[in-house]
Amino acid sequence: MTPQFDPEAIIDAMSPLLGLTLTAESRAQTIVHLRIAAGQAELLLSTPIDDREEPAPVFVP
Amino acid sequence: MISALLDGTAWEIAAAVRNGAASAREVTQAALDRVAARNAALGAFTDLTAARALARAEAIDAARARGEKLGPLVGAPFAAKNLFDIAGLATRAGSKINRERAPARADATLIGRLERAGAVLIGALNMGEYAYDLTGQNAHDGPSRNPHDLEHMTGGSSGGSGGAVAGGLTPIALGSDTNGSIRVPSSFCGVFGLKPTYGRLSRAGTFPFVASLDHLGPFARSVRDLALSYDAMLGRDEADPAQADVAAVPATPAIEDGVAGLRIAKLGGYFARSGEPSAFAAVDTVAQALKAERVVELAGAERARAAAYLITMFEGAALHLGRLRTRAADFDPEVRDRLVAGAMLPAAWPAQAQKFRRQFRRQALALFREADILLAPATPCRAPKLGQKTFVLDGKELLVRPNVGLFTQPISFIGLPVVALPVWTDGEKLPIGVQIIAPPWREDLALRVARVLERDGVVRALVASFA
Repeated sequence: MTPQFDPEAIIDAMSPLLGLTLTAESRAQTIVHLRIAAGQAELLLSTPIDDREEPAPVFVP
Repeated sequence: MISALLDGTAWEIAAAVRNGAASAREVTQAALDRVAARNAALGAFTDLTAARALARAEAIDAARARGEKLGPLVGAPFAAKNLFDIAGLATRAGSKINRERAPARADATLIGRLERAGAVLIGALNMGEYAYDLTGQNAHDGPSRNPHDLEHMTGGSSGGSGGAVAGGLTPIALGSDTNGSIRVPSSFCGVFGLKPTYGRLSRAGTFPFVASLDHLGPFARSVRDLALSYDAMLGRDEADPAQADVAAVPATPAIEDGVAGLRIAKLGGYFARSGEPSAFAAVDTVAQALKAERVVELAGAERARAAAYLITMFEGAALHLGRLRTRAADFDPEVRDRLVAGAMLPAAWPAQAQKFRRQFRRQALALFREADILLAPATPCRAPKLGQKTFVLDGKELLVRPNVGLFTQPISFIGLPVVALPVWTDGEKLPIGVQIIAPPWREDLALRVARVLERDGVVRALVASFA
């Protein structure tokens, strides 16, 4: 199934789970930021990352 | 004479205190007086630690009278972004909520280390709420204002740090940088800023934002001051578990070694688009002065920026989730709604971003096998006006807040050390910055390059005129 991005549905599903109550104004801005995040995620995930790639939770350059 | 000293550098103040031309108390009082006179316009300071500063200065003068050895920054005033713990002050981190907390019992490690080098803390500096900001605006304390044009942003989130140094309030300030919060204010305010390698300087005693990406570092109006303050803050600190076990190599002794033999290249591709012409002209000015003609690509920079963006949202939201539940109305709305969105991201996104971080690091290290220093713009434009919500880059209208850091984010994503330097153009009121990017742990190289450019008059930090 192709991922579908629906910020309204995400907010409706996640707000009770997270215990967050959003005002109408906050909800509208949250949608803006979810859309930006989804765009960034699409870019990040546009190329496969090797299964064996080690994450960098504690990072030593 | 004291006024001229305050317009100069920390190392000149230290020399004057050491040789008796000025007392530490005189310098400290003059700095406090300057803050009193200028801060209403600049909005740089949120707290003054006047009694502590004067006591410290008097102790320095007494030590000098006893013939004791004095530190390299003796008597030089400094201030710290208000996410650094300062004993006796609540660490507000730019927020309304945190100022209700009990006062810090001890200073942050880096404040203690600067004071051991003789510097005198005079107060705490304004910042964007919880450091989730690149503009220097603050809904609770008012904006920090750009000293070179008060209608413009300082950049953030270390806005007060940039403003204090450019405004002549202190020669040195401390800030933090997660996605650009030292380098952006350095660019907008026209001062030098050092974001060291990730894990280099202790973060102990500071309020966090994004554990994976948070760095601390200094601002100054001279490269020598940047190096002296960096050297003073080096060293292992068991109180910071994220600090890397890497030998501390002071940068000041080699600061005048020049750039002969260094392979310096401009970053092309991602770093040569999506900015105003002034951003790229500044890089060209620096590159020409360094005779750096080569252009190289850091593949994956756009994805790196995306990954940093998502990690920031995710970790920032996790940090603040409890407060978002119970104190939502007490946040700056522009910060809160980004955090709320961050709390709703699929966990796979930041997890993949952390994997890409290691991949991108490999790409950068490969590039450093063929170049020692990389040049890139610090910001896509000069300081926007206060309150400005959008700007146009490459013909696209974009939000200012999420996009000011598009050139800084890929670099801090993998923790590379950077000196941001200020370039001025004739006829322009506002400066713009360039990033001097070095391989991990080679702050010394970036500082050497910065010093050559400063020595040759290509870059300079000016105290704003307050006629």
